[in-house]
Amino acid sequence: MWIYFYFVLFLLDGVAYSSGGSYSGLAGTGAHGWVDCVRASDMCNQNPQCSSRYRVMRQCLVGRERDTMLANRECQAALEVLLVSPLYDCRCKRGMKKELQCLQSYWSIHMGLTEGREFYETSPYEPVMPVRHPDAFRLASIISGMHTVTPKANTCSDPSKTCNPCLDAAKACNLNNTCKKQRSTYIATCSKGEPCNRKRCHKALRQFLDRVPTDYSHQLLFCPCQDLGCAERRRQTIVPFCSFEDKVKPYCLELRKNCRQDPLCRSRLADFHMNCMVSQHTVSSCPNEDNYQACLASYAGLIGTDMTPNYVDGSFTNWTVSPWCTCKGSGNQEEECQSFLKDFTENMCLRNAIQAFGYGTDSLSHKAESVPSTSSMKPGLETSISTSEPLDNPNDVQPEDEANGKGNVPKWNLSKGYIGGDEPLLEPSSGYDGLTRPKGPPEDGSACVCASVWALLLSLTAAVANYAL
Amino acid sequence: ECSDLKPPCPYILPCLHLSVGLSVCLQESSSQTTKGAKSARRKRLKPCSLREVEVTVGELGLGYDSDETLLFRYCSGRCTARRRRNYDIALEHTRRAGLIKKGRRDKVQYSPCCRPIAYEKDISFLDNNSRYHTVQEVLARECGCA
Repeated sequence: MWIYFYFVLFLLDGVAYSSGGSYSGLAGTGAHGWVDCVRASDMCNQNPQCSSRYRVMRQCLVGRERDTMLANRECQAALEVLLVSPLYDCRCKRGMKKELQCLQSYWSIHMGLTEGREFYETSPYEPVMPVRHPDAFRLASIISGMHTVTPKANTCSDPSKTCNPCLDAAKACNLNNTCKKQRSTYIATCSKGEPCNRKRCHKALRQFLDRVPTDYSHQLLFCPCQDLGCAERRRQTIVPFCSFEDKVKPYCLELRKNCRQDPLCRSRLADFHMNCMVSQHTVSSCPNEDNYQACLASYAGLIGTDMTPNYVDGSFTNWTVSPWCTCKGSGNQEEECQSFLKDFTENMCLRNAIQAFGYGTDSLSHKAESVPSTSSMKPGLETSISTSEPLDNPNDVQPEDEANGKGNVPKWNLSKGYIGGDEPLLEPSSGYDGLTRPKGPPEDGSACVCASVWALLLSLTAAVANYAL
Repeated sequence: ECSDLKPPCPYILPCLHLSVGLSVCLQESSSQTTKGAKSARRKRLKPCSLREVEVTVGELGLGYDSDETLLFRYCSGRCTARRRRNYDIALEHTRRAGLIKKGRRDKVQYSPCCRPIAYEKDISFLDNNSRYHTVQEVLARECGCA
């Protein structure tokens, strides 16, 4: 009977593969399952139909609200064509060449789909592979409830001196040529002038984070502290006087709106939401198979954007991170504002990830990128895809959107069943391909899954019947 | 500058009294050594090159109170007689011939001295009062016999 069962799985697998759109074959993306958006737009430009629609679409998006855009027949038609183009499924890589161009291409399609409506947006970045440290994760999740943490003894290099892991992080950085240079550059840029040049400071910070291996930069950002001096040094890492603080504290939703007008900030924010979203179904409270690295990296990715987060004070027992914004006096949007802000200030995934950093990754040997592609990334992608709005009826105004926005973890719960991993039917490769067929917005995807479930059930019944006979 | 040093640079040991100041060619070989010992030491000395030592910013003696550690790069080593230019020969000769007057404050150098010929642009650090500082030309980047 089990043999029969697996045979059915095999068949389903084959079906899912063959049903993948013609474009994905054309892309030749191999194991990744995605094309970068620069390439995708090149591919689109080679196809006369696609390129003309793409041009129309970009014109549609210039200075128009989503509703007016979709009211326009031509824009709507262009959108429909582009949904089956490689541009719809494309992704970008953090720090890639032409990253900004790639993100612009990505949003030129996705802006039309989600403009300003989604509480959480799909990340344009390729998923980060998880690095497994089973013990570290377990330890961290046990401790996560407590605020005071005693880091491992060996985080302090010199036991005779007072232990300051943040000072050690600065030392490690200074002993590395690239890190020392990039750090000196951003510090010099951010502390020059009165007032300082915030834009340049942000750029230098981004450059630091892009060019320096995360081993060094994350050590500076997330060093585990047990005293005020250390925590203050940690808070000072990004030169908050220039990069973080401002004369006025804007409303968080206002800040988010500004951030979403900039392709880079928008992408980094979407990436943060995707990788640091609280999940009740994993040990660490992080999505993506307890992927702390992904969460920390997307948190760090926000530094140097309008949404730059930082430790709010020098507290070491009960630290909080937040962007420079407030929800005070935001009136009828208070609830939505709070749930946005709480993704920073009361985020168990982020908190666990930062606290675990002192345990699991205190050596310089772990690299998030070094792990080869595994199937474990795929549930994350499904998750992200299921968050985008339904596309088949773009004219549908969706009143429940507001409600979804206010809920704490709205559509993300959809993914839970997939992440469990005890459902052999949704073996990632088949599920993923089936779900992301070009024409396949969420409904299509779930229809596919439903069909598979039915097929399996039917075949199982058949098998049982056979067995009984 | 090398000029206020009594012995020519090639003969001094690389010394690094950082608490006193930044000068590399600081130590005077006041203890009179015999010619044999001198040449033996000269042979032992490595040629002029970049060296490094781990120190805290506070130990640099620049007046900053910071426990941040960095790699202090400095120049040290021997500048061989071959590196002597016509300038050095001419200077030595005119001096010996008495054409340049000897004076207490007028010290001249007949041999090239191992000094930085390029510095790292700047180095930034956080002091113990949570203030950032950036200082220029603290670390040697390249050394040469000048």
